[in-house]
Amino acid sequence: MLPQLVVSGLAQGVLYALVALSMTMVYRATTVVNFGHGDLVMGGAFVVYVLVVYAHLPYLLGGLLALTILFALGVGIHQGLMRRIMTGPHLAIAMMALAVGYGLRGGARVLWGREVLPFPRIFPDHAWMLGDVVVTSDNLIVSGTVLGLMAVLFVLFNVTRTGRLLQAVFQSQRGAALVGLNVDAVHRVMWGVGAALAALGGVLLAPITLLYPDMGVWVLVRGFAAMTLGGFGTLHGAVLGGLILGVVELVLGAYVSTAFIDISAYVVVIAVLLLRPDGLFGQQVVVRV
Amino acid sequence: MALLDLADVTVRYGGLTAVAGVSFHLDPGEVRAIIGPNGAGKTSLFNAVTGHAPMASGTIRFRGERIDGLAPHMVSAKGVRRTFQNGGLFGELSALENVLAGLHTEVPSGFFGVLFGLPAARAVERSATARARQLLDLMGIGHVADQPAGALSGGQQRMVEIVRALATRPPLLLLDEPAVGLAPAVREQLLGVIRRLVREEGIAVILIEHAIEFVMSVSDRIVVLNEGKVIAEGTPEEVPKNREVLEAYLGH
Amino acid sequence: MPGALPAPVVGRPALGRWVFLLVPLLVLPVPFFVNRYIQYVLNLILVYVLVGVGFNIVIGNLGQLAFANVALFGLGAYASGILVVHAGWPWWTTVIPAGLVGALAGALASLPALRRIRLFYLAIMTMAFGELMRWIYIRAEPLTNGSMGLAVPPPVLLGVRLSSDRSKFYVFLALAVLAVVLTSSLLRSRFGRAFMAIRDNELAAAAVGIPTDRYFILAFAWSGFVVGVGGAMYTALVGHVTPEAFNLLELILHFAVVMVGGLASLAGSVIGAVVLTTTPELFRGFPGVQELVLALLIVGVLLFLPRGLVSLLSLRLPLFRERYYRE
Repeated sequence: MLPQLVVSGLAQGVLYALVALSMTMVYRATTVVNFGHGDLVMGGAFVVYVLVVYAHLPYLLGGLLALTILFALGVGIHQGLMRRIMTGPHLAIAMMALAVGYGLRGGARVLWGREVLPFPRIFPDHAWMLGDVVVTSDNLIVSGTVLGLMAVLFVLFNVTRTGRLLQAVFQSQRGAALVGLNVDAVHRVMWGVGAALAALGGVLLAPITLLYPDMGVWVLVRGFAAMTLGGFGTLHGAVLGGLILGVVELVLGAYVSTAFIDISAYVVVIAVLLLRPDGLFGQQVVVRV
Repeated sequence: MALLDLADVTVRYGGLTAVAGVSFHLDPGEVRAIIGPNGAGKTSLFNAVTGHAPMASGTIRFRGERIDGLAPHMVSAKGVRRTFQNGGLFGELSALENVLAGLHTEVPSGFFGVLFGLPAARAVERSATARARQLLDLMGIGHVADQPAGALSGGQQRMVEIVRALATRPPLLLLDEPAVGLAPAVREQLLGVIRRLVREEGIAVILIEHAIEFVMSVSDRIVVLNEGKVIAEGTPEEVPKNREVLEAYLGH
Repeated sequence: MPGALPAPVVGRPALGRWVFLLVPLLVLPVPFFVNRYIQYVLNLILVYVLVGVGFNIVIGNLGQLAFANVALFGLGAYASGILVVHAGWPWWTTVIPAGLVGALAGALASLPALRRIRLFYLAIMTMAFGELMRWIYIRAEPLTNGSMGLAVPPPVLLGVRLSSDRSKFYVFLALAVLAVVLTSSLLRSRFGRAFMAIRDNELAAAAVGIPTDRYFILAFAWSGFVVGVGGAMYTALVGHVTPEAFNLLELILHFAVVMVGGLASLAGSVIGAVVLTTTPELFRGFPGVQELVLALLIVGVLLFLPRGLVSLLSLRLPLFRERYYRE
C-alpha cells in the first residue's frame, strides 16, 4: 500500500512542484508573490481546452500555443500593471496579483458559467506493474515532462550565461542593476516565463482532471504549501516541497483520515510557518524587523 | 554613578562581528560623540543599547540597572530614547501625531475609556495634545504640526524626530547621524538645540556623526570606533591627533 | 520612505466631525421610500460597513497583510447562527458573543505576526487559515449543517421579531453607527496612534515605548470583534449561513471594500461598502461579469487612485482628512 501511495503521491507532487517552481522563479526575479498564479494555471488549462475541443488542434500543438499565449499574457501583466506599482506598498502588489487572477476567473466564468468541463482522453490508457505498484501512462507523461523541463532549466541556470545572469538577479535586484543588468527586461521575461510555466501546469492538468473556473484556488494553495514546506523562495525547496506534499497528502489521507487529502496543504502552511518558518530546506524567512 | 555603563559589549549578526568588546561609561549631562568609518559598528552599538539588537556578550547598565536583554519599548520606558539614521518618523502621521506617539507612555488613557469616549480618557488625551503642540512650538516648528511628517523638509523631519524623542524628557538621548544631509544653517540650529537641551534640561546625549566640525563643537568627549572596536577616546582636542584614528580614516 | 503611498491630504477640518453623524440621520426615512430589494441592498451595505471598518484596522491602520478577515466574518456568522439554532438564543443576544468569537480568532490570527511572520508569508498563512475554517464549516455537520448551510429563523430583538428588511435596517444602522463611532474614538487615541506607528516604522514605535506585541493583538482583536458582529448581522440578513459564502472570492470583495474606499480611512470604509455592495448587484444574473467588474475596479484604483475614492473627496474637502488626536 505504502509504495503505491508514494508513487502516486510523487506523480501528483510533480505538478505541485511545477507550480511552486514557477511561482518561486517569479518571486526570486521580481520579489513579487503572484497570488493570481493559480488562475494562470487555470488559464492554461482552459486555453488548451478551447484549442483542442473547439479548434480541433492536436494536444501537443494546442499545448504549445497555450504556453505562448500565456507567456504573452504574463509579459502584458508585468508591462501594463505590475511595473507601475512595484515601488509601492506590498499590499497593493498582492492585491493587483489577486485582482488579475480574479479577472481571469471572471472571464472563464462568463464563458463557461457553472459548467465543469471534462477533457477528451488524450493520454493513452496504459498501466504498468512494478511489483505491487501500478504506474499509469498519465503518471509517466506528466512526471516525464516536468522532470525533463526541470533538467532543462537546471542546465540553463547553471551552464549558460543567461542563466547565470538570472542567478545574479535572483540574488539581489539592486546589485544586478548596479552592474548594469537590465532588470526591467528580466522582470518582463520572468513574468512571461512564470505564466508559461503555469500554463504548462494547466496543460498537463487538463487531461487528468475536470476543469472549472475556480480550480485556480486549489492550485494556488498547494503551490504555496509546497513552497513553504520546501523553504520559501528556494528553487530546490519548491520542487522537493511539491514532491513531498504530494506524498504527504496521499499517505496521511490513507493512514490518518481522508480529510488530509483536502486539508494537508492548509495544515502544512500553518504548521510550517509556525514551527519551522525556513521550511525543510530553506533559508531565513522571518522578516528581520 | 554613571548614567550609562557599557561593559565589553559584543554584537554579532550571523558570522559577522559588528561590535567587539566595547566598553565606556557616560555621566549625566555629558555629550559623547561616536565616530568612525562606515561599518565600524556605531549603529549596531546603539541598537544594542536600545534593545533592537541582541548582544552576544557584555552588560549594559543604565542608572545602575541592567538593561541588556530588555525589549526596546522597555528600554525606552526606562529613559533611553533615540533617533534613527534613515528616517525614523511615522511618515503617514502628522508631526503632531508623531510627537503624541512619542508621549505614548505618558498618556494614561485606558482602552475602554477611550473606546466609549469617557470624560477622563478624553481629558487625558486633550492635555497630551496640548503638550505635544507646546513642544513643537518650543522647537520652532509648531507651524507644521498638522502636516504629514513624510511631506516635511529634511531639517523639519529631523527636528520632529528629536522633539518626539525628547517628549518624555529622557535622561539619555541617542542621536544617529542627526546632521546628515542638512544645510549648514539648519545644522547650526540643531547644534543650538542640542546645547540648550544639555544646558537647560541636563539631558545626556550620545551622537553618531560623520560631520567632524559638528562633532567637535558640541561634544565633551569623543569615542572612535573601527571594525567594532574602540580605537581611541578623548577630548575633541586629543582625538584628531591620535595616530590610529588617522590611519583608520585614511586607510579607508 | 520605501513602499509609501503618495502623501495624504492635510489640514484641520473647518467643520466639526458632527457632520458625519448627519449621514445616518438623513438616511433614517429612506426605508419608507424604497422597495424590498433596495432595502435588502441597503442592509447589505451596512453589513459591509462593519466588514470594511474592521478589516481596515488591520490592513490600513496596523498595515499588516493579514487576510484572515473572511475567516473572522464567517466565525461571527456561524457563532450567531449556531447559538440561535442550537441553543435557542434570541438573535440580539448573539451579537456580542459573535463579536467576541471574532475577537478571539482575530487575536489568534495575530500570533504568527508576533513571531515576526510578515508580508507575503503572513498573507499566505492567514489565507490558509480562512480556507481551513471553511473546510471545518463543511465538516462540522452537527453544528453547522455542513455544505447545506445553516438555516436561521428571522432575528429577534428584545422579543420583537424582525421579519422585514425594513425593521432590520434600523438595527443594522445603529450597529454600523456604533462601529464607526467606537472605532473612531479608538483611532483618535494613543491606541490608534500606536497602531499606525507600528505600521509606519515598527522599530521606531518600539523606541518610543510602544509594546508592539500587545498592540498587534489589540488591533487584531478589535478588528475581529467588529467583523464578527458584521457576521452576526449577515446571518440575520440572509437567514442562511453556508461555507461557500466565506471563500477567497469573498476575501477579494473585502479587499476591494477597503482599497477602493480608502485604506486606513473610516469614511473610506463606508464609501467602499456602498460601492462594492451596489456594483455587484448591478451585474447580478451575469455570472463572471461581477468578477470582471470587480477586478477592473480594483486594478483601476490601484493604478490611478491608490488612496481610494476617499482621496477624491479629501482633495476638495479637508474634512475628510482623519485626525488621530483629540483637542
